[in-house]
Amino acid sequence: MMHAAALAAMLLAQDFSQRGFVENRTLVYPQTAPNDSGHVVNETLLRWDASYQPKPWLTFSGSFDARTDSHRQVARTWDVDVNGQNILRPAFSIRRMSATLHRGKFTAEVGRQFIRWGKTDILNPTDRFAPKDYLSSVVDTDFLGVTAARVTYEAGADTIDMVWQPIFTPSRTPLLNQRWTSLPPQAAGIALLDQGARYPGGSQQGVRWNHVARGYEYSLSFFDGFQNLPSFDATLASSLPPQVALLRTYPRLRLYGGDFAVPLSWFTVKSEAAYLTSSTPGAEEYALYVVQVERLVREWSFMGGYAGSVTTRDPASPLQFAPDRGIARSFVGRAGLTIDANRSLAIETAIRAAGSFVRFEYSQATGKHWRTTAGIAWIRGDMQDFLGQYNRNSYASLAIRYSF
Amino acid sequence: MSRVLAVTLALAGCAWAQDPRQIIIEVQKRQHSDSQRYEGTLEVIGGGNKVATKSWIFQRMGSFGNSKSVLRFTAPADVKGVALLIVNHPDRASDQWMWTPSIGRDRRIALQDRSTRFFGTDFSFEDLEERDVDQFDFKLLADEGVAWKIESKPRKKSQYAYSYFWIKKDNYTFVKVEAYDSKGLVRVIDYKDYKQSAGIWTAHTTEVFDMRRNSRTILKYGKLEYNLPFKDDEFTLQALRRGL
Repeated sequence: MMHAAALAAMLLAQDFSQRGFVENRTLVYPQTAPNDSGHVVNETLLRWDASYQPKPWLTFSGSFDARTDSHRQVARTWDVDVNGQNILRPAFSIRRMSATLHRGKFTAEVGRQFIRWGKTDILNPTDRFAPKDYLSSVVDTDFLGVTAARVTYEAGADTIDMVWQPIFTPSRTPLLNQRWTSLPPQAAGIALLDQGARYPGGSQQGVRWNHVARGYEYSLSFFDGFQNLPSFDATLASSLPPQVALLRTYPRLRLYGGDFAVPLSWFTVKSEAAYLTSSTPGAEEYALYVVQVERLVREWSFMGGYAGSVTTRDPASPLQFAPDRGIARSFVGRAGLTIDANRSLAIETAIRAAGSFVRFEYSQATGKHWRTTAGIAWIRGDMQDFLGQYNRNSYASLAIRYSF
Repeated sequence: MSRVLAVTLALAGCAWAQDPRQIIIEVQKRQHSDSQRYEGTLEVIGGGNKVATKSWIFQRMGSFGNSKSVLRFTAPADVKGVALLIVNHPDRASDQWMWTPSIGRDRRIALQDRSTRFFGTDFSFEDLEERDVDQFDFKLLADEGVAWKIESKPRKKSQYAYSYFWIKKDNYTFVKVEAYDSKGLVRVIDYKDYKQSAGIWTAHTTEVFDMRRNSRTILKYGKLEYNLPFKDDEFTLQALRRGL
């Protein structure tokens, strides 16, 4: 009772703020996939973000998700997930729970939080504390929080960001028995056993220095930790019938990267690049880079560019889930139109040598709380291409959101 | 924000010899404060008289041409937390960064992008900045009895080729601004409902008409306060990120 009263008092306090939404989203796939006969996926998500600032120098932030779906992508358990180490999406999860202390030029945030590095939009090679949820779509993802301590020192034009992440959070990958896992024709007739994941136990750390100058910005970053996208260890579980057991593993990763943004007369040029090495035997070593231009003109926003990669050491096993390298060697473009205060249109495309993706989206707000977003995504290409392998996954979507 | 709008707008003068620059300087002097805070309610009225309501909290520290502002949306819920940091400079256009909490990223708004409408309102990003009087050339066009009509031409890059200001003679406040680009009239801004707060005449209603889109935004001030003890570190990129 006392706790309830204290909570109520806090919620009514002026230094408490909150927001959230309930969203129901339906995806309709006209085609089935070899490992997925479903045509319709329905998801419902409740997200609640709250912030409480008892002192000017101290802020507590939290974010909570509750969700369910029709496609068994969400766990049917009552556990509340706090570290993101799960194959299915948890029904209940703490996305963020952190304390932020601020004194002068120092800001420290401790706990589960979101950390975003980099400047580009197509792909962020340096954004290594930002695992993603690819479970229900490889082309439409959400970020996952990480448990970390982050200290930022901001002095005039320079900012130094230091991060220590003691608990590993992987990106969430598509399920083996669903359409966003594309299996090669040779795998037909072989049963795949999902053996889960072996998560690394060590900590991850990184540092980033960002400089804002009068006409440009740039940063340098270093990261030492683990790849948050998995490689798969495959073992033959049985010959008759043929069964292969797959276990997710996460190789070590060290990154040296940088990014810059320069506004020119007609558009802004942004670039980001990273070289990623690994001490794990058999792990791939590569460089990722992005060059993009962007422009806002009245109600329009435009962005276009190229993402590339250079492999310096091939992986020992081809069994990897690597959308960051998959989307590389692509021309990517986005355009958005704000029709009025309530309506907007967006188009996004990625074009590769043997695959392409285009998505249209129309969004309309109604009143203060409701928003409806309808979209169509069209994916074409060869099975050997990263995008093309999902050529049976074109879909239409409808999302209805109530924000509060 | 009447300050801020006023312009692009913030600019000033006095009747001495009816020098338009002195008139603008006098406006600026009379509106001087070390800081400002208000809670704004915006009604965006588009085609078919459809109304969208938004709210923001605006905080400014510093004075004309050398100030910093943070504007943070508080409603509707789907834009709550979106924030804009504006760092004004006496000798050049401002620096602006927009923080979008849903993606956890800040984005610098480049100078050539400032004609874009700000989050579906009829304000452009440039309208939200504050330029020093020395960044404009002025010409007195007419003495209209109760107000002066002054032409203002930016010396630095701007979405506007020129603007006309109407400034009341009795209290040196902006009544109206018409802003033109090379193709004609772009925006009309009306300042209404003047009240004195901390000795400063402040328009509590600002109405912006986007002539090309036939759309208008009405900004109403609430809980207006001046000369609050803000700190520098409340107007930084880190401060943007610390909000919800």
